[in-house]
Amino acid sequence: MTYLDSAATTLQKPKTVAAAMARAVGELGSPGRGGHPYAMAAAETAFRCREAAAELFGLDSPERVVFTSSATHGLNIAVRSLAGPGSRAVISGYEHNSVVRPLRAAGAETDVAASPLFRPEEAVAAFRKKLEKKTDLVILNHVSNVFGYILPAEQIAQMCRERGIPFVLDASQSAGTVPVDVGKLGAAYVAMPGHKGLYGPQGTGLLLCGKDADPAPLLCGGTGSSSISEEMPPFLPDRLEAGTHNMPGIAGLLAGLEFVKENGPEDILAYERELAAAMAAELRKIPGVTVFASEHMYCQGGVLSFLVDGVSSEKVGEELGRRGVAVRAGLHCAPLAHRTAGTLPDGTVRASVSAFTRPRDIRALAGAVRAAAAG
Amino acid sequence: MLYYLLTCRSLTIAQKASKVLKGAGMPAALVRTPLGVSKEGCGYSLRVRERYLDGALASLRASELPPVRVFAELENGRYEERRP
Repeated sequence: MTYLDSAATTLQKPKTVAAAMARAVGELGSPGRGGHPYAMAAAETAFRCREAAAELFGLDSPERVVFTSSATHGLNIAVRSLAGPGSRAVISGYEHNSVVRPLRAAGAETDVAASPLFRPEEAVAAFRKKLEKKTDLVILNHVSNVFGYILPAEQIAQMCRERGIPFVLDASQSAGTVPVDVGKLGAAYVAMPGHKGLYGPQGTGLLLCGKDADPAPLLCGGTGSSSISEEMPPFLPDRLEAGTHNMPGIAGLLAGLEFVKENGPEDILAYERELAAAMAAELRKIPGVTVFASEHMYCQGGVLSFLVDGVSSEKVGEELGRRGVAVRAGLHCAPLAHRTAGTLPDGTVRASVSAFTRPRDIRALAGAVRAAAAG
Repeated sequence: MLYYLLTCRSLTIAQKASKVLKGAGMPAALVRTPLGVSKEGCGYSLRVRERYLDGALASLRASELPPVRVFAELENGRYEERRP
Protein backbone atom coordinates (compact mmCIF):
# COMPACT_ATOMS: atom_id res chain seq x y z
CA MET A 1 0.00 0.00 0.00
CA THR A 2 1.15 3.53 -0.72
CA TYR A 3 1.19 5.52 2.49
CA LEU A 4 0.45 9.24 2.15
CA ASP A 5 -0.96 10.02 5.59
CA SER A 6 2.18 11.18 7.38
CA ALA A 7 0.38 14.27 8.69
CA ALA A 8 -1.57 11.85 10.90
CA THR A 9 1.40 9.62 11.74
CA THR A 10 4.64 8.89 9.97
CA LEU A 11 4.15 5.17 9.50
CA GLN A 12 7.59 4.43 8.14
CA LYS A 13 10.17 5.08 10.85
CA PRO A 14 13.92 4.75 11.03
CA LYS A 15 14.76 1.15 12.00
CA THR A 16 16.48 2.48 15.12
CA VAL A 17 13.11 3.53 16.56
CA ALA A 18 11.62 0.04 16.88
CA ALA A 19 14.99 -1.33 18.04
CA ALA A 20 15.25 1.30 20.79
CA MET A 21 11.70 0.57 21.91
CA ALA A 22 12.32 -3.17 22.06
CA ARG A 23 15.46 -2.61 24.13
CA ALA A 24 13.56 -0.28 26.44
CA VAL A 25 10.92 -2.91 27.17
CA GLY A 26 13.55 -5.31 28.44
CA GLU A 27 16.12 -2.99 29.92
CA LEU A 28 14.63 0.23 31.21
CA GLY A 29 12.94 0.78 34.55
CA SER A 30 11.28 4.01 35.63
CA PRO A 31 13.28 7.23 35.85
CA GLY A 32 13.19 8.84 39.27
CA ARG A 33 11.94 5.68 40.89
CA GLY A 34 15.10 4.23 42.30
CA GLY A 35 18.86 4.16 42.24
CA HIS A 36 19.24 0.71 40.71
CA PRO A 37 20.75 0.26 37.24
CA TYR A 38 17.40 -0.14 35.44
CA ALA A 39 15.97 3.06 36.90
CA MET A 40 19.22 4.91 36.22
CA ALA A 41 19.37 3.61 32.64
CA ALA A 42 15.83 4.90 32.13
CA ALA A 43 16.80 8.24 33.66
CA GLU A 44 19.75 8.48 31.29
CA THR A 45 17.56 7.75 28.25
CA ALA A 46 14.97 10.31 29.34
CA PHE A 47 17.67 12.92 29.92
CA ARG A 48 19.27 12.27 26.54
CA CYS A 49 15.87 12.67 24.91
CA ARG A 50 15.30 15.98 26.71
CA GLU A 51 18.76 17.17 25.68
CA ALA A 52 18.24 16.19 22.05
CA ALA A 53 14.92 18.05 21.94
CA ALA A 54 16.37 21.09 23.74
CA GLU A 55 19.19 21.26 21.21
CA LEU A 56 16.88 20.86 18.21
CA PHE A 57 14.37 23.45 19.41
CA GLY A 58 16.53 26.19 20.89
CA LEU A 59 16.13 25.59 24.61
CA ASP A 60 19.13 25.93 26.90
CA SER A 61 17.54 23.89 29.69
CA PRO A 62 16.59 20.24 29.19
CA GLU A 63 14.36 20.43 32.26
CA ARG A 64 11.97 22.62 30.27
CA VAL A 65 11.39 19.72 27.88
CA VAL A 66 8.31 17.94 29.23
CA PHE A 67 7.17 14.51 28.05
CA THR A 68 3.52 14.34 27.08
CA SER A 69 1.38 11.72 25.40
CA SER A 70 0.64 13.92 22.38
CA ALA A 71 0.60 17.49 21.14
CA THR A 72 -3.01 17.66 22.32
CA HIS A 73 -1.87 16.84 25.85
CA GLY A 74 0.71 19.65 25.71
CA LEU A 75 -1.77 22.14 24.28
CA ASN A 76 -4.24 21.31 27.05
CA ILE A 77 -1.55 22.09 29.63
CA ALA A 78 -0.76 25.38 27.87
CA VAL A 79 -4.41 26.41 27.74
CA ARG A 80 -5.02 25.39 31.34
CA SER A 81 -1.99 27.44 32.39
CA LEU A 82 -2.89 30.58 30.49
CA ALA A 83 -6.65 30.70 29.98
CA GLY A 84 -9.74 30.64 32.15
CA PRO A 85 -13.27 31.97 32.16
CA GLY A 86 -13.25 35.47 30.73
CA SER A 87 -9.78 35.20 29.15
CA ARG A 88 -9.44 36.35 25.57
CA ALA A 89 -7.46 34.11 23.25
CA VAL A 90 -6.58 35.10 19.70
CA ILE A 91 -6.03 32.17 17.37
CA SER A 92 -5.47 31.71 13.66
CA GLY A 93 -8.15 30.50 11.32
CA TYR A 94 -6.28 27.24 10.86
CA GLU A 95 -6.37 25.81 14.38
CA HIS A 96 -7.06 22.18 15.14
CA ASN A 97 -9.69 21.04 17.63
CA SER A 98 -6.79 20.37 20.01
CA VAL A 99 -6.74 24.15 20.48
CA VAL A 100 -10.36 25.11 19.89
CA ARG A 101 -11.85 22.58 22.31
CA PRO A 102 -9.55 23.18 25.30
CA LEU A 103 -10.18 26.93 24.96
CA ARG A 104 -13.89 26.28 24.89
CA ALA A 105 -13.64 23.99 27.91
CA ALA A 106 -11.66 26.65 29.77
CA GLY A 107 -14.46 29.16 29.19
CA ALA A 108 -12.17 31.49 27.28
CA GLU A 109 -13.39 33.90 24.64
CA THR A 110 -11.84 32.82 21.34
CA ASP A 111 -11.25 35.44 18.68
CA VAL A 112 -10.19 34.13 15.27
CA ALA A 113 -7.65 36.16 13.28
CA ALA A 114 -8.86 34.75 9.99
CA SER A 115 -6.92 35.25 6.78
CA PRO A 116 -6.82 33.54 3.38
CA LEU A 117 -4.75 30.48 2.59
CA PHE A 118 -1.09 30.98 1.65
CA ARG A 119 -1.09 34.72 2.39
CA PRO A 120 1.26 35.06 5.36
CA GLU A 121 1.36 38.85 5.14
CA GLU A 122 -2.43 38.91 5.55
CA ALA A 123 -2.17 36.58 8.53
CA VAL A 124 0.21 39.04 10.20
CA ALA A 125 -2.19 41.91 9.47
CA ALA A 126 -5.15 39.94 10.86
CA PHE A 127 -3.28 39.24 14.11
CA ARG A 128 -2.10 42.85 14.37
CA LYS A 129 -5.70 44.03 14.21
CA LYS A 130 -6.95 41.47 16.75
CA LEU A 131 -4.15 42.32 19.17
CA GLU A 132 -5.35 45.92 19.39
CA LYS A 133 -7.77 44.66 22.05
CA LYS A 134 -6.60 43.28 25.39
CA THR A 135 -5.45 39.73 24.78
CA ASP A 136 -4.46 37.10 27.32
CA LEU A 137 -2.85 34.63 24.96
CA VAL A 138 -2.20 33.85 21.32
CA ILE A 139 -2.16 30.32 19.93
CA LEU A 140 -0.87 29.66 16.46
CA ASN A 141 -0.84 26.53 14.36
CA HIS A 142 2.61 26.67 12.80
CA VAL A 143 1.65 24.49 9.84
CA SER A 144 -1.95 23.71 8.95
CA ASN A 145 -2.62 20.00 9.25
CA VAL A 146 -5.14 20.33 6.43
CA PHE A 147 -3.36 22.50 3.87
CA GLY A 148 0.31 22.40 4.85
CA TYR A 149 0.24 26.20 5.00
CA ILE A 150 3.19 27.50 7.01
CA LEU A 151 1.95 30.43 9.05
CA PRO A 152 4.33 33.30 9.86
CA ALA A 153 5.17 32.26 13.42
CA GLU A 154 8.21 34.52 13.83
CA GLN A 155 6.33 37.72 12.98
CA ILE A 156 3.30 36.84 15.10
CA ALA A 157 5.52 35.81 18.01
CA GLN A 158 7.35 39.11 17.70
CA MET A 159 4.07 41.03 17.95
CA CYS A 160 3.27 39.05 21.09
CA ARG A 161 6.68 39.79 22.61
CA GLU A 162 6.25 43.50 21.94
CA ARG A 163 2.87 43.46 23.66
CA GLY A 164 3.77 41.11 26.50
CA ILE A 165 1.22 38.51 25.38
CA PRO A 166 2.02 34.82 26.01
CA PHE A 167 2.53 33.03 22.70
CA VAL A 168 1.76 29.33 22.24
CA LEU A 169 2.87 27.46 19.15
CA ASP A 170 1.23 24.27 17.97
CA ALA A 171 4.15 22.65 16.18
CA SER A 172 2.30 19.43 15.38
CA GLN A 173 3.08 19.57 11.67
CA SER A 174 6.26 21.64 11.80
CA ALA A 175 8.44 19.90 14.39
CA GLY A 176 11.20 18.09 12.54
CA THR A 177 10.90 20.08 9.32
CA VAL A 178 10.22 23.81 9.75
CA PRO A 179 12.72 25.38 12.17
CA VAL A 180 11.30 26.02 15.64
CA ASP A 181 13.44 27.97 18.11
CA VAL A 182 11.66 28.45 21.42
CA GLY A 183 14.24 30.96 22.66
CA LYS A 184 14.08 33.17 19.58
CA LEU A 185 10.29 33.00 19.44
CA GLY A 186 10.05 33.88 23.12
CA ALA A 187 7.19 31.38 23.24
CA ALA A 188 5.48 30.52 26.51
CA TYR A 189 4.82 26.98 25.26
CA VAL A 190 5.48 24.93 22.15
CA ALA A 191 3.59 21.65 21.85
CA MET A 192 4.41 18.86 19.44
CA PRO A 193 3.69 15.18 18.90
CA GLY A 194 6.48 12.63 18.83
CA HIS A 195 4.92 10.47 16.16
CA LYS A 196 4.87 12.77 13.14
CA GLY A 197 7.92 14.70 11.93
CA LEU A 198 10.02 13.50 14.85
CA TYR A 199 9.52 9.86 13.78
CA GLY A 200 8.85 8.58 17.28
CA PRO A 201 6.02 6.23 18.20
CA GLN A 202 2.39 7.14 18.82
CA GLY A 203 1.65 8.07 22.41
CA THR A 204 4.63 10.41 22.68
CA GLY A 205 4.83 14.17 22.61
CA LEU A 206 6.79 17.10 23.94
CA LEU A 207 5.80 20.34 25.60
CA LEU A 208 8.60 22.87 25.50
CA CYS A 209 8.21 25.48 28.20
CA GLY A 210 9.55 28.99 27.77
CA LYS A 211 11.67 30.78 30.35
CA ASP A 212 8.76 32.52 32.03
CA ALA A 213 6.30 29.66 31.83
CA ASP A 214 4.36 29.01 35.02
CA PRO A 215 2.56 25.82 34.08
CA ALA A 216 -0.48 24.34 35.77
CA PRO A 217 -0.42 20.54 35.95
CA LEU A 218 -3.11 18.68 34.09
CA LEU A 219 -2.41 15.49 36.03
CA CYS A 220 -1.31 15.22 39.63
CA GLY A 221 0.41 12.26 41.21
CA GLY A 222 3.75 10.68 41.90
CA THR A 223 6.83 12.23 40.37
CA GLY A 224 9.64 10.48 42.23
CA SER A 225 10.55 13.83 43.79
CA SER A 226 9.50 15.93 46.81
CA SER A 227 7.38 12.95 47.82
CA ILE A 228 6.62 14.23 51.29
CA SER A 229 4.55 17.05 49.84
CA GLU A 230 0.89 16.71 48.88
CA GLU A 231 1.41 19.38 46.23
CA MET A 232 2.94 18.83 42.83
CA PRO A 233 6.60 19.95 42.78
CA PRO A 234 7.02 23.54 41.64
CA PHE A 235 9.91 22.70 39.32
CA LEU A 236 10.03 21.36 35.78
CA PRO A 237 9.77 18.82 34.33
CA ASP A 238 8.40 17.07 37.43
CA ARG A 239 5.54 19.54 37.79
CA LEU A 240 4.01 18.29 34.56
CA GLU A 241 5.06 14.64 34.61
CA ALA A 242 2.93 12.80 37.15
CA GLY A 243 2.87 9.03 36.84
CA THR A 244 5.14 6.49 35.24
CA HIS A 245 6.92 7.56 32.08
CA ASN A 246 6.34 5.88 28.73
CA MET A 247 9.93 4.65 28.50
CA PRO A 248 9.58 2.58 25.32
CA GLY A 249 8.00 5.64 23.74
CA ILE A 250 10.68 7.99 25.01
CA ALA A 251 13.45 5.65 23.82
CA GLY A 252 11.80 5.51 20.40
CA LEU A 253 11.37 9.27 20.34
CA LEU A 254 15.05 9.72 21.14
CA ALA A 255 15.94 7.53 18.16
CA GLY A 256 13.55 9.59 16.01
CA LEU A 257 15.10 12.87 17.18
CA GLU A 258 18.55 11.50 16.34
CA PHE A 259 17.31 10.63 12.85
CA VAL A 260 15.98 14.17 12.37
CA LYS A 261 19.20 15.70 13.67
CA GLU A 262 21.30 13.49 11.42
CA ASN A 263 19.27 14.32 8.31
CA GLY A 264 18.63 17.97 9.16
CA PRO A 265 15.11 19.45 9.41
CA GLU A 266 15.83 21.87 6.57
CA ASP A 267 16.84 19.06 4.24
CA ILE A 268 13.82 16.99 5.21
CA LEU A 269 11.56 19.99 4.54
CA ALA A 270 13.22 20.61 1.17
CA TYR A 271 12.67 16.98 0.20
CA GLU A 272 9.04 16.98 1.36
CA ARG A 273 8.42 20.22 -0.52
CA GLU A 274 9.85 18.71 -3.66
CA LEU A 275 7.45 15.79 -3.30
CA ALA A 276 4.50 18.05 -2.52
CA ALA A 277 5.28 20.20 -5.55
CA ALA A 278 5.39 17.07 -7.72
CA MET A 279 2.12 15.94 -6.19
CA ALA A 280 0.48 19.31 -6.93
CA ALA A 281 1.76 19.26 -10.51
CA GLU A 282 0.55 15.70 -11.15
CA LEU A 283 -2.87 16.28 -9.58
CA ARG A 284 -3.40 19.53 -11.50
CA LYS A 285 -3.10 17.60 -14.75
CA ILE A 286 -6.23 15.64 -13.85
CA PRO A 287 -9.48 17.19 -15.11
CA GLY A 288 -11.90 18.09 -12.33
CA VAL A 289 -9.27 18.15 -9.58
CA THR A 290 -8.74 21.30 -7.52
CA VAL A 291 -5.43 21.49 -5.67
CA PHE A 292 -4.71 23.75 -2.71
CA ALA A 293 -1.05 24.66 -3.07
CA SER A 294 0.97 27.82 -2.63
CA GLU A 295 2.92 29.23 -5.54
CA HIS A 296 6.31 27.48 -5.71
CA MET A 297 5.39 25.89 -2.33
CA TYR A 298 7.04 28.89 -0.65
CA CYS A 299 4.85 28.76 2.44
CA GLN A 300 3.85 25.11 2.40
CA GLY A 301 5.24 21.91 3.85
CA GLY A 302 4.66 18.32 2.82
CA VAL A 303 0.86 18.40 3.23
CA LEU A 304 -1.53 19.03 0.39
CA SER A 305 -5.31 19.07 0.10
CA PHE A 306 -7.36 18.55 -3.00
CA LEU A 307 -10.94 18.08 -4.20
CA VAL A 308 -12.47 16.08 -7.01
CA ASP A 309 -15.45 17.76 -8.70
CA GLY A 310 -18.73 16.02 -8.03
CA VAL A 311 -17.32 13.43 -5.64
CA SER A 312 -17.36 13.87 -1.86
CA SER A 313 -14.00 13.94 -0.13
CA GLU A 314 -14.87 10.92 1.99
CA LYS A 315 -15.83 9.00 -1.14
CA VAL A 316 -12.56 9.93 -2.84
CA GLY A 317 -10.64 8.83 0.26
CA GLU A 318 -12.44 5.49 0.28
CA GLU A 319 -11.84 5.01 -3.42
CA LEU A 320 -8.13 5.77 -3.07
CA GLY A 321 -7.96 3.29 -0.19
CA ARG A 322 -9.48 0.63 -2.41
CA ARG A 323 -6.86 1.40 -5.00
CA GLY A 324 -4.05 0.99 -2.48
CA VAL A 325 -3.35 4.59 -1.50
CA ALA A 326 -3.77 5.67 2.12
CA VAL A 327 -4.82 9.30 2.52
CA ARG A 328 -7.10 11.13 4.92
CA ALA A 329 -10.36 12.73 3.87
CA GLY A 330 -12.97 14.89 5.58
CA LEU A 331 -12.45 17.57 8.20
CA HIS A 332 -9.14 16.38 9.71
CA CYS A 333 -10.30 17.44 13.21
CA ALA A 334 -9.93 21.02 12.02
CA PRO A 335 -13.35 22.38 11.03
CA LEU A 336 -12.10 25.90 11.69
CA ALA A 337 -9.46 25.52 8.98
CA HIS A 338 -12.10 24.33 6.54
CA ARG A 339 -14.39 27.19 7.49
CA THR A 340 -11.55 29.64 6.85
CA ALA A 341 -10.67 28.08 3.50
CA GLY A 342 -14.29 27.64 2.43
CA THR A 343 -14.16 23.85 2.26
CA LEU A 344 -16.96 23.10 4.70
CA PRO A 345 -19.02 20.96 4.99
CA ASP A 346 -17.33 18.31 2.88
CA GLY A 347 -13.73 18.98 3.80
CA THR A 348 -10.90 17.92 1.53
CA VAL A 349 -8.76 14.94 0.63
CA ARG A 350 -5.32 15.27 2.19
CA ALA A 351 -2.13 13.63 1.04
CA SER A 352 0.98 14.09 3.17
CA VAL A 353 4.55 12.91 2.84
CA SER A 354 7.56 12.18 5.01
CA ALA A 355 11.27 11.59 4.61
CA PHE A 356 10.40 8.00 3.64
CA THR A 357 7.99 8.86 0.83
CA ARG A 358 9.29 8.07 -2.63
CA PRO A 359 8.45 9.62 -6.04
CA ARG A 360 6.74 6.37 -7.03
CA ASP A 361 4.25 7.00 -4.20
CA ILE A 362 3.29 10.29 -5.83
CA ARG A 363 2.82 8.56 -9.17
CA ALA A 364 0.63 5.95 -7.47
CA LEU A 365 -1.52 8.71 -5.95
CA ALA A 366 -1.91 10.49 -9.27
CA GLY A 367 -2.91 7.25 -10.98
CA ALA A 368 -5.48 6.44 -8.31
CA VAL A 369 -6.95 9.95 -8.31
CA ARG A 370 -7.18 9.91 -12.09
CA ALA A 371 -9.13 6.65 -11.90
CA ALA A 372 -11.35 7.93 -9.08
CA ALA A 373 -12.10 11.17 -10.93
CA ALA A 374 -13.00 9.26 -14.07
CA GLY A 375 -15.56 7.35 -11.99
CA MET B 1 38.41 8.81 51.50
CA LEU B 2 35.81 11.45 52.28
CA TYR B 3 32.86 11.96 50.01
CA TYR B 4 30.29 14.72 49.86
CA LEU B 5 26.72 14.52 48.83
CA LEU B 6 25.27 17.46 46.92
CA THR B 7 21.50 17.16 46.93
CA CYS B 8 19.66 18.41 43.86
CA ARG B 9 16.20 19.83 43.34
CA SER B 10 15.24 17.18 40.82
CA LEU B 11 16.54 14.20 38.91
CA THR B 12 16.86 16.26 35.73
CA ILE B 13 18.81 18.99 37.53
CA ALA B 14 21.05 16.32 39.07
CA GLN B 15 21.68 14.88 35.59
CA LYS B 16 22.44 18.31 34.20
CA ALA B 17 24.77 19.08 37.12
CA SER B 18 26.50 15.73 36.71
CA LYS B 19 27.19 16.54 33.09
CA VAL B 20 28.60 19.96 34.02
CA LEU B 21 30.99 18.39 36.52
CA LYS B 22 32.07 15.62 34.19
CA GLY B 23 32.72 18.24 31.51
CA ALA B 24 34.93 20.07 33.98
CA GLY B 25 36.88 16.90 34.75
CA MET B 26 35.29 16.32 38.15
CA PRO B 27 33.83 12.85 38.50
CA ALA B 28 30.43 12.84 40.18
CA ALA B 29 28.20 9.84 40.73
CA LEU B 30 24.48 10.35 40.37
CA VAL B 31 22.87 8.59 43.33
CA ARG B 32 19.52 8.34 45.03
CA THR B 33 19.48 10.67 48.03
CA PRO B 34 19.51 8.47 51.14
CA LEU B 35 16.46 8.54 53.36
CA GLY B 36 17.00 10.79 56.33
CA VAL B 37 19.09 13.18 54.29
CA SER B 38 16.35 14.43 52.03
CA LYS B 39 13.75 16.42 53.93
CA GLU B 40 11.53 16.44 50.88
CA GLY B 41 11.50 12.66 50.39
CA CYS B 42 12.69 11.00 47.16
CA GLY B 43 15.43 12.80 45.36
CA TYR B 44 18.81 12.56 43.69
CA SER B 45 22.24 13.80 44.61
CA LEU B 46 25.74 13.98 43.26
CA ARG B 47 28.42 12.17 45.22
CA VAL B 48 31.83 13.81 44.84
CA ARG B 49 35.21 13.26 46.44
CA GLU B 50 36.41 15.83 48.94
CA ARG B 51 39.20 17.03 46.68
CA TYR B 52 36.63 18.11 44.10
CA LEU B 53 34.14 19.71 46.49
CA ASP B 54 35.18 23.35 46.19
CA GLY B 55 35.60 23.13 42.45
CA ALA B 56 32.29 21.34 42.07
CA LEU B 57 30.42 23.93 44.12
CA ALA B 58 32.00 26.79 42.17
CA SER B 59 31.26 25.11 38.89
CA LEU B 60 27.64 24.39 39.79
CA ARG B 61 27.05 27.91 41.05
CA ALA B 62 28.50 29.30 37.82
CA SER B 63 26.10 27.09 35.89
CA GLU B 64 23.15 28.22 38.03
CA LEU B 65 22.78 24.70 39.37
CA PRO B 66 23.69 25.14 43.03
CA PRO B 67 22.99 22.13 45.22
CA VAL B 68 20.07 22.37 47.61
CA ARG B 69 22.15 21.07 50.51
CA VAL B 70 25.63 19.65 51.06
CA PHE B 71 26.42 16.72 53.33
CA ALA B 72 29.68 15.12 54.35
CA GLU B 73 29.50 11.34 54.26
CA LEU B 74 30.99 10.22 57.56
CA GLU B 75 32.93 7.00 58.14
CA ASN B 76 30.13 5.58 60.27
CA GLY B 77 27.78 5.89 57.28
CA ARG B 78 25.96 8.91 58.66
CA TYR B 79 25.69 12.27 57.00
CA GLU B 80 26.51 15.66 58.42
CA GLU B 81 25.25 18.81 56.77
CA ARG B 82 27.83 21.36 55.73
CA ARG B 83 27.18 24.88 54.66
CA PRO B 84 27.41 24.97 50.83
